[in-house]
This record gives sequence, structure tokens and C-alpha cells, in this order.
Amino acid sequence: MKRFINLLLAAMIAVMMTGTAFAKDKEVELVYVEWARAVAITHVAGEILEEMMGYDVKLNSVANAAMWASVASGDSDALLCAWLPNTHADLYAKYKNEVEDLGPNYVNAKLGLVVPSYVNIDSIADMKDNIDKFDGKIIGIDPGAGMSKSTEKAIQNNTSGLGDFEYVSGSDAIMVATLANAIKRDEWIAVPGWQPHWMFGEWDLKILQDPDKIYGTSETINTIVRENLKEDQPEAYEFFKNFDWKQIDLSPVLVKNKDGMDPEDSAEEFVKNNMDKIKELLQAAK
Amino acid sequence: MELNIPKLPVGDGIEAFINFTTDHFSFITRAISDITETGLDALIEGMLFFNPIVLILIFTALIYKFSTRRIAISSFAGLLFIWNLGLWEATISTLALVIIATMVSVAVGVPLGITAALYKSFHRVLMPILDFMQTMPAFVYLIPAIPFFGLGPVSAIFTTVIFSMPPAIRLTSLGIQQVPTELIEAADAFGSTKKQKLFKLQLPIAMPTIMAGINQTIMLALSMVVIAAMIGAGGLGGEVWRSIQRLWMGRGFEAGIAVVIIAMILDRVTQKLSEKK
Repeated sequence: MKRFINLLLAAMIAVMMTGTAFAKDKEVELVYVEWARAVAITHVAGEILEEMMGYDVKLNSVANAAMWASVASGDSDALLCAWLPNTHADLYAKYKNEVEDLGPNYVNAKLGLVVPSYVNIDSIADMKDNIDKFDGKIIGIDPGAGMSKSTEKAIQNNTSGLGDFEYVSGSDAIMVATLANAIKRDEWIAVPGWQPHWMFGEWDLKILQDPDKIYGTSETINTIVRENLKEDQPEAYEFFKNFDWKQIDLSPVLVKNKDGMDPEDSAEEFVKNNMDKIKELLQAAK
Repeated sequence: MELNIPKLPVGDGIEAFINFTTDHFSFITRAISDITETGLDALIEGMLFFNPIVLILIFTALIYKFSTRRIAISSFAGLLFIWNLGLWEATISTLALVIIATMVSVAVGVPLGITAALYKSFHRVLMPILDFMQTMPAFVYLIPAIPFFGLGPVSAIFTTVIFSMPPAIRLTSLGIQQVPTELIEAADAFGSTKKQKLFKLQLPIAMPTIMAGINQTIMLALSMVVIAAMIGAGGLGGEVWRSIQRLWMGRGFEAGIAVVIIAMILDRVTQKLSEKK
């Protein structure tokens, strides 16, 4: 037993020494939340950094606030899914001095209350006349999300007549599961939703008009990097800054991920299939 | 009725404290974090160095040595099942995390428990702190841990230790306090020193209770596995966390079952250990 422990200790020391010998010079850590587009774009970025730029890439799937905290503390290098100006408003306000916003990688993201298209109203303002059909509820996402706050505020202020509704908060997954269930039973349902999201490809849905701007105007999805990335990893920084994600249509990845493909595999496949275009973009970025 | 007293700035105070310590002491915690992480990686790599089937056999042999044949056989089957589900690596990293968290908890908790049993005033100060540690929702520690220990397993170990240490302290202290006074008096009558009394009488008699405390510590550490995945702890918790969010229900249950199997094995083995002592 004692010899075994000695051996183990020796192994540990050996590993520690090799661990520090290979200093981390080409290493990038990305954090993301498990939202469809975030998963897709982060894995594609990881794949490009790893296969085409020779980086050692680590992807970490965490909670929303943890994602921001980790980039702010310099522990992770970048996040590619900051929904601004609304959804992540609080987190951005808290950490804006410790991170660098590299601007949008997706524009015209839409937020709003989403209903199946068989629900025959077109505006949030019409919901109050059908409150019974909705069972008086809006099935929501995580309590901390910007959309949850906007909805709760609207209910509190009776904006668009939502005053009698109840906001049931849960999580992204619970919201989608409830939506799927309601569609199967042909029931009326309203959920906070956003585009891009795979649920729009899966079901026939529509975003209700928002005459009182409860959810603000359209959003952008931004790339946020840690402070000092420019000095420490200029190449990676340039990649995040210049690589034009807006020109890349990620929908094939989104669909495949939704169908249960491992995001790592779908990203690899996507990069392989779009090699020319990506190379062109990387070239243009230089 | 509204009271006209301004709200006490508890939250602001805590935030200021966290910011202050982050600014001034995070180099220490970062160093601790680096060391722990290399140790953890080495432990995981060491275990993954073996072929899964070899490691499963080693585990089974160890379990057989320290408990009964029945437990060893069912553990063997359970571990094979986990391997078959394709969750072997995740299980190893969870196991490494639980082992390190438990070791830290025991190394800190048992001495604290002994001290609390021997000194009444220390006991009185310690107990409310333990209540706090145990009942404060674990989520609350997660985000502040990131500036100190970074994202990933070390933050997870830190929060796990805070959450799972109290039973080790409590039951150690309880075990020593429950040593019959007649025995203490007898030891005093024979003129034994405090040290002799502790190591030759109190600790051996308290051992089963202490082991029960360690058992509970392990179980609490395992229950933190999924929560800690929110800050990137990985392992089985990470599998569960990702599956839930991607609505991969089957996969979520598979990873959950693996957690249950590990919990049952660790529980039965530590229980047997405490019976034997």
C-alpha cells in the first residue's frame, strides 16, 4: 500500500512538471450557455481555432451569470453569445469595465412572446381578451433572464393589458418542453422566445406584435472578450474581432444539433463543408 | 405597517468584502487553485491511464478487501454498467472531485470537531457557523467563487467542501462527547494525560460516529456534483446539466443513474468500514 502511494505521488509530481513545462501559449478558453445558437457558434469557433489556427481550445458550458463572471475575471477568454442591449443588460452593466465588447456577431435577433401559428391573434394586446384560452399563464424561462424581467414588469404595469396574467418561470428547457406539449394537444400557449432558435424550424410559430415595446427593439448577439486578450493572444483577439460571423449561416448546425447530433461533430462537419468560405473570411480578416 | 428603518446594507457589505478580497488576495487563491488543479488532473489522468476494465477490477478488489463480497459483486456490475453507458471518463472526473473534496473536508473537519468537543466555548462559536454553511443555498457560493478560483473543478471543490464539511465536524464532536463519563473518570484515575485520553480512549470509541460523519460528507459532496456543473465542473454533473438544457431526457437519466451507482457504492463501503472499526 505504501509503495503504491509513493508511486502515485511520483506520478503526480511528474505530471505536474510536464504540465508546467508546456506553458500555455496557444490556448483559448471559451464559455457558453446552452442556448441553441450559442452552442452552435461556440463549437464552430472552437473548431476553427483548433483545426485552422492551431490553438488548444477548451469549451465550457456553464450558467449564464457564471459565463460573464468568468470572462470578467480573466479566467475564460471569450464568450460569443452576449444578447444586448436587453437580455444581458444587468450582467453587461456589472462587468462592462472588466471586459471588452467586440461588437455584434449576429444582428436583428428578435425577442417577443411566441405562440403557435394556430393561435389566431397577432398582437400581445389581444392576449387579454383570450386569457382563459391561455389559462392565465405565460410559461417562462429562467427567472434572471432579461425577458423574464421584461415580462414581469409588463404584468406589473398592466402593459398591453397583461396585468391578469401569471408568469411561470422555469428554464429554457422547461419552456420548450411545455411548448412542445401544448402543440401536441392543440392548446393555446404563449412563451417568451427569441430568434434565432431552432424551435422556429421545428414548429409553425409566430412572434406576436409588441405595440408597447415590452421587449424593446431588436437585439444583437455580441462577442465579448476578456481584458488584455489583445496583449496576451493577439492572434486570437484578431480572430474574434474581425471574423465576420454575420456572413455565416449557421442554420444547418442548429438543425443538426436540435436533432440530437453532438455539437462537436456538427461543428466539425460544418467547418469541413464550408472550408472555402471560412478561409476567405479569415483571409479578409487579416 | 411600514417600519421607518432603512434597510440594513448586508448585501452591499458582502459585495464590498468580496470585491476587496478579490482585489487583494486572489493571487493566493489563484495559486491554491493552480496547485489543486494539477493535483486533480494528475489524479484523473492517473486513473484514466488504466484500461477501464483493469481499473474496475482494481476498484472491485479494493471494495472486496474493505467490505463484503456482496457489495463487491454489485459494485463490479454497477461500474461495468457505467462503462457500457459511455460515461466512464465523466465518472472518473466526478470521482476525483468527490475524493479530493472529501479529503479536504475530513482533514479540516475532524480536527475542528475534536477541538469543538474539548472546548465548550469553541463549540458555541462553531455551531451557528455550521448551520450557516449547511443551509445557505449552495448556488449562492458559486458565482463569487469564480473570481477566486476560476471556472471549473476547483471552484466546484471549494463550494463542495463548504457544503459537505459540517457533518464531519458535527459527528466527530458528537462522538467524542458521547464517550461515557465513567470511562473518562477511569482514565483520569489512572493518571492519563489529555493526549493519551484523546488518542487511546476518546477517538477509538468515537470512531463509528466519526465514520458516519465522513459517510455523510461523501454523500453531500456527491449531491453537489450537478450544482457545481453550473460553473463548469464537468464530469457526470456536467453530463446531467447539459442534457437537461438540451432536453436530452434519456441521456440525462443515464448520467443520473451513474451518479446513483457511485453514491451507493461509496455509501455501502464507508458504512461497512465504520462497522468494522
